[in-house]
Amino acid sequence: MKKSLALILVLVLALAMLSGCSQSTSKSEQTVVIYQNKVEIGEQLSAFAAAYTEETGVKVTIKTSGGDTPYAENLKAEFQSDRQPDIFVIEGMGGYNTWASKLAPFEGDEWIDLTSLEFAVDGKVYGFPVAVEAWGMAYNKDLLGKAGVDPATLNSQEGYKAAFEKIDAMKAELGIDSVVAMAAGPDMRWVTGLHNFNGYLSAGLEYGDTTVLDKMLKGEPDMTRLTEYADWVELLFNYSSESVLITGNYDSQVGQFATGKSVFIHQGNWIDPWLMDNGVTFPMAFAPHASVKGEFDGIFIGAPSFYVINNESQNQQAARDFLNYMATNEKGHNYMVNEAKMVPAFTNVKLTPSTPLSANVSEWLAKGTAYTWLQNDMPDGFGMGTIAPLYESFGKGDINKQQFIDQLAGKIIELK
Amino acid sequence: MKKKKTITTIVLQIITITFFLLTLFPFFIVVINSAKASLEIITDPIAFPAHWGQIFINIKTIWSSPSIRYASSVYASVLITVLSLISIAVFSAMAAWVLVRTKTRMSTFIFLLFICGLIIPFQVVMFPLVALFRVINETIGINMLRTYHGMIFAYIGFGAPLAVFMFHGFIKSIPVELEEAALIDGCSKPQIFFKIIMPILKPIFVTICILNAIWIWNDFLLPSLILGVGQDIQTIPLAIRAFAGSFVKKWDLIMTAVLMAAFPIVVGFIIGQKHIIKGMVAGSIK
Amino acid sequence: MKKQKNDKLVFWLFLAPALISFLVVVIIPFIMGLYYSMTDWTAIAGVKPTWVGLENYKAMFSDTSFRYSFMRTFLFTLLSVVSINVVALTFAFLVTREIRFKNLYRAGFFIPNLIGGLVLGYIWQFIFKSVVPSVGALLGIEAIENLLILADPNWTLFGLILAFTWQYAGYIMMIYVAALLNVPQELLEASDIDGANFWQKLVNITIPMIAQAFTITSFLTLVNSFKQFDIILALTNGGPTAMYKDQVVNSTELLALNIYNVAFKYNNMAEGQARAIIFFLVLSIISIGQVYYNKKKEVEM
Repeated sequence: MKKSLALILVLVLALAMLSGCSQSTSKSEQTVVIYQNKVEIGEQLSAFAAAYTEETGVKVTIKTSGGDTPYAENLKAEFQSDRQPDIFVIEGMGGYNTWASKLAPFEGDEWIDLTSLEFAVDGKVYGFPVAVEAWGMAYNKDLLGKAGVDPATLNSQEGYKAAFEKIDAMKAELGIDSVVAMAAGPDMRWVTGLHNFNGYLSAGLEYGDTTVLDKMLKGEPDMTRLTEYADWVELLFNYSSESVLITGNYDSQVGQFATGKSVFIHQGNWIDPWLMDNGVTFPMAFAPHASVKGEFDGIFIGAPSFYVINNESQNQQAARDFLNYMATNEKGHNYMVNEAKMVPAFTNVKLTPSTPLSANVSEWLAKGTAYTWLQNDMPDGFGMGTIAPLYESFGKGDINKQQFIDQLAGKIIELK
Repeated sequence: MKKKKTITTIVLQIITITFFLLTLFPFFIVVINSAKASLEIITDPIAFPAHWGQIFINIKTIWSSPSIRYASSVYASVLITVLSLISIAVFSAMAAWVLVRTKTRMSTFIFLLFICGLIIPFQVVMFPLVALFRVINETIGINMLRTYHGMIFAYIGFGAPLAVFMFHGFIKSIPVELEEAALIDGCSKPQIFFKIIMPILKPIFVTICILNAIWIWNDFLLPSLILGVGQDIQTIPLAIRAFAGSFVKKWDLIMTAVLMAAFPIVVGFIIGQKHIIKGMVAGSIK
Repeated sequence: MKKQKNDKLVFWLFLAPALISFLVVVIIPFIMGLYYSMTDWTAIAGVKPTWVGLENYKAMFSDTSFRYSFMRTFLFTLLSVVSINVVALTFAFLVTREIRFKNLYRAGFFIPNLIGGLVLGYIWQFIFKSVVPSVGALLGIEAIENLLILADPNWTLFGLILAFTWQYAGYIMMIYVAALLNVPQELLEASDIDGANFWQKLVNITIPMIAQAFTITSFLTLVNSFKQFDIILALTNGGPTAMYKDQVVNSTELLALNIYNVAFKYNNMAEGQARAIIFFLVLSIISIGQVYYNKKKEVEM
């Protein structure tokens, strides 16, 4: 008798599912899979990988998830799946602690001697620095000049205070909404909880000094430093526009600066592409953060993330070759500098960035004074989850400065 | 009396039109802002765009965006939705039928188990589910994560309880004599189901498919765990998240992406409107 | 004898696809989850969880933000249920009256339901952040121009409810429409002749007739409000902050998001799982209680 159509349908379905299984098990063995977290360079990196494949025959696949789609969470799921990435990204000690059991060290790779920003633990090199990034108080040179403020005075809280007061009095004349473009809202917790707070951890200390961080991880707040730091936060908040501060997103914060509605912005050189895309032409540069008392002569420079090798990968050598190629070959340099618009962490790179803030980072880098990035060495969720809401509440006036200090100290004590 | 009625009708008409326009207002915002460049959208989000042609530039950007991969995302969404719908409906109807027609303690127990599934929220099973899928891969060697069949399998599991429940209620009202007659005619049990029961189930079938289609097409959390964000297979909501979730919020492009994400299902709805509304109205009071 | 065996085979064969996937996807993970919630499970493959008893549950209840999240979730659920049902009923009354284009209106009211929570979250975020101030500026009303909806906890909750109502009311409307069309016209006409006014008809005829629909709609809105995740993720991502017992808390981090964040953001899978179990218990109690109560009411009517 004739089988019913529906029955056939079900069978076909079942078959399709089974054939689906056998198909995907043994494919893609000889490709190198990179799971990375920078959405803005995904396209360029894929193009570079394609060119590499053409030249060497080794297939490299780029997968991206990033921004506020939490990379760390997705990575965890990635390791639950059946095709683990060969290269993935960690952002510092926090990531190392989670993934230590999965990492293979680099040994004798050529690029190691070309950088001082590799990620190493106990003398073993685990991470390839993706790029150099930096943040400080970026300023609009034209507006600052018009206001008659010498950028050299922007090196202490007193200097900033004087400058902010002067500029604030000239608001109408300069055509600005507020002195600073600062954001502390729910979308921007990385700005406050990570970048701004890093000032408490490292501003004014020698590069690589982790004493404040170490104390914090033991649950000990440095009350003097914390109090001075709160002054800095207050100063920034007082001179920023309320709507951008409290509900602003990246667009509105960078947009305020880009349209000349603020003189300063609390951001890093990664805003360059946004500014270029929108035809911003005014000159700009970074001034140091005056996170605590004292004088400062550096901005926060570091490698935001590192490529690491999965020790269960079948293609470890191929993965290392690819990274080495990126650091040592001119095509790699061209990709990093001209395509992805990054500042490479390698001394052999001759190309200079064409965008204003990245170029300025190169200058600061050459100067040799910088403060460490320690924000990625805090426990999971501490920066963006635990303390960032305090900044938002402080910005809205739900808590005053003393409460802000007390609660921040309280959160640090809870780390014990 | 007559005049009063006309006035009431006019008033009602005006009220309804007002609500109607308010409901569609967000779509209007999406459309006009899809045709703006990024600075334009910051300076004036409620004005009509300066150049409508910008919409094509934006569409092209989204179309070729490596994080959205529009064509492949639409393909994945369609494939997953269609196969899941058919599987849920057919498998659940089969299960419901034998559960109704077999009166044993076992069948009652299984039916109650399905009912329990109705009240178990997704949140309580989502973490262990991923772990279990991983175990399945290690022990049996079937990849459940990052694959179509794993995704569809999960949808069958989550869709089955409601579908079984609805079919169960409907099949109970089908007289058993119909089947007995066919049995005497020499039909086998599977034949009875596919030839006699299935056609009767058609209206409820449609309702279940519509309900599930809206759910599966728009679902985010389950695919984000099973398929992952930024992977080879991504559905439209995952693509939107991968794109809009980046720190850099380009609202002009997000609006275009939203427009393109809504487009297939809204068009589908408008085409099948009559049947869909009828199916929903018929199914919803059962 | 052979026939009986054959019947058994058919029984299991027909049941297998739905049952197996249901067991694998829902029941087994549910049981695993119960176990994991009492261990220090990390979800990293190869790490064996150790038993910790009720530690995760203790930690959860001593967390102020969790208690706050619970309260906010109840508040959100209650207000959403009311808001969605009122709007849906209004729509349903309108589109079942003798007016023109009612099919067009029905379709229009329903269309937002086709838009997924994630996508509509982004749409409304844009509306609240950019469109509302611009409209305020256009109208010259400073209060609206400077209204930062997503900065204030109560306004944000209102915004979430508005967005959710926009999405869901059209669907609930359909259920009411079906119920209203079931109300016999003769009954209404008869009461017209008896001189009953609009309210009398509403209270005595229409409302009792849609009581059954009300059981379904309140169940659906209750459960779906309580479980809300996608819209919140895209619209507010948990913010803005609020003060609760001198603690800074995230005002829209409702339970579903709280569970997700604890598990992933703070890398605490086991405690996230324990919270999910409590979430399940509470949801079951209120939803079953609600259905039971309404069914009783239905009978009384």
